[in-house]
Amino acid sequence: MKIGVALRSCVVVSALFAVMQGEVSARSEFQVFSQANSGRGVDCAMCHAHPNGPEGLKPGQIGSLNAQELKLLGLARTAFEPGSSVENPILNDFGNRIVFELGKRTFLELRAQPELLGSLLSADSDLDHDGIPDATEFLQGTHPLSSQHGAPGALFLHNLGEQWFPIVMLAVATALGLYGLRHLLIWFSILTDQWSAESSSSEGD
Amino acid sequence: MNVPRTFGTIADFFAERFPISKLNFRSMVQKKEVPIHRLSWAYYLGGLALFFLGVQLVTGLMLLFYYEPTVSDAHASVEYISQHVEGGALVRNIHSWGSSCMIFCVLVHMITAFAMKAFEKPREITWISGVALLFLVFGFGFTGYLLPWNQIAVNATKVGLQSIEEVGNYLPGALAEIPTRIKETIQGEATVGQATLSRFYALHVVILPLGLLSILGLHLLSIQIHGMSQGVDRPTGRTERFFPMFILKDFSLWGVVFLGFFVVALCLPFEAFFAYPLFAPYDALGSTPDGIKPEWYFFFIYYPLELLPFWLVVGLTMVVKVVLFIAPWIFRGTSRKTLRAIAVGGALYMVVMTIFGQQIYEIFKGGHS
Repeated sequence: MKIGVALRSCVVVSALFAVMQGEVSARSEFQVFSQANSGRGVDCAMCHAHPNGPEGLKPGQIGSLNAQELKLLGLARTAFEPGSSVENPILNDFGNRIVFELGKRTFLELRAQPELLGSLLSADSDLDHDGIPDATEFLQGTHPLSSQHGAPGALFLHNLGEQWFPIVMLAVATALGLYGLRHLLIWFSILTDQWSAESSSSEGD
Repeated sequence: MNVPRTFGTIADFFAERFPISKLNFRSMVQKKEVPIHRLSWAYYLGGLALFFLGVQLVTGLMLLFYYEPTVSDAHASVEYISQHVEGGALVRNIHSWGSSCMIFCVLVHMITAFAMKAFEKPREITWISGVALLFLVFGFGFTGYLLPWNQIAVNATKVGLQSIEEVGNYLPGALAEIPTRIKETIQGEATVGQATLSRFYALHVVILPLGLLSILGLHLLSIQIHGMSQGVDRPTGRTERFFPMFILKDFSLWGVVFLGFFVVALCLPFEAFFAYPLFAPYDALGSTPDGIKPEWYFFFIYYPLELLPFWLVVGLTMVVKVVLFIAPWIFRGTSRKTLRAIAVGGALYMVVMTIFGQQIYEIFKGGHS
């Protein structure tokens, strides 16, 4: 059996288990769009607290919520207008931010045009402080809440700007270290040559 | 068989490779000369591989202080290192980049050493120990991949171990059982789980490092005794002193590479190149995310396994392994020009499979692998 077949059988078995557990992840329109637009794999963890989505009994899923969290969930479900500070326990910070910026009504309407989500979200919001706006991360299929995840080029340039001081310090330290090492090795080389010359002359005597 | 004579031949072989008269500082360092020619740059690759090995040992030791080798805590401990330990994300990123850089340097070092006929008598042991080191670093890559216990780690390991078992289908009689036994021994239980993680952890942090350091000692000793090979068919006659000139250049290169490497590790997280669901904690009952693949340095064998009959790829791999180990005897009379052509062909294959493997797969099979 080839690797691809083995992998596919893993997927089938995993999916079967997921169905048995009643945890089929809802591949929302937004998730499908982000994945197609970026060519990167995306799952519910972009906006939800659990990567398998809201349905289920695991932490961050509806079945695991206590009374207090269920109350918050109820409040969040009525946040139809923008500007409502909600802390929906089944959403992560990015999910809650979307509801805060757009309101639930607009968000639900966007399901027909998920490509508009990126342009409607504020370009200033960067929840993970990685220099890439959350809206861009949505379009690029990277995680808006992980500073370790983003488009490699943009991430590199942003971090380079942020970390210039330690880099300059390291360059100076490396240059000084190499300068010292060079002189140490040359000194040691001269010394060993002298010892060799002395020992061969004493052997000659 | 004349036993004393056989032992005598073996003893002579080793006496010639490790002559007592050359086992001193004067011969191994002071008097050592390095040839200068158009391929001299390749002499620095072994040193670079050694540099990255040092980086891996240091960062690996740092990670050991926080990493928990249990299926319940492994992923959480890695997340803890990245998010809560001061400098933890940097150390982890250096370790991730370092593994790729080390394997890259070892691969290029082996290809250039082959092209320069560095296995020629009396350097057979240098070559054989070098090939063994190559397989050991692949072992490091394979075992280290599982340790973060995320989706890509566990699923890719499952596929890798499955491949071992498949070999049994092509072996006759009682031999057919051997690959399954090997897989079970490595895996430690019915599926990839705690026993597998414990075994991979032990291999990654104790057994493989011990093996690597001992073989590396032999490799370095052999290099210092016999010096660098002449490298080209027509030597220029020009040389430079190993100590201090070559060593100085080597350290200067290490310094420059360290700086560049540090900047990359500081500014470019290794995980940024992958889809984030691949780094979610492994969930045996959840769905398997798309894009499960081995590390890039296994693509040269992964894509052929996907495209060609299993027996063909495994058979060819075994042949290449044997040829690599006994290259000093197979290519004894081959000119460096021919060896260079073979090396270029091999390097081209590796580059094409690593960079364009996915596209080649899609052309022949369609869709994603």
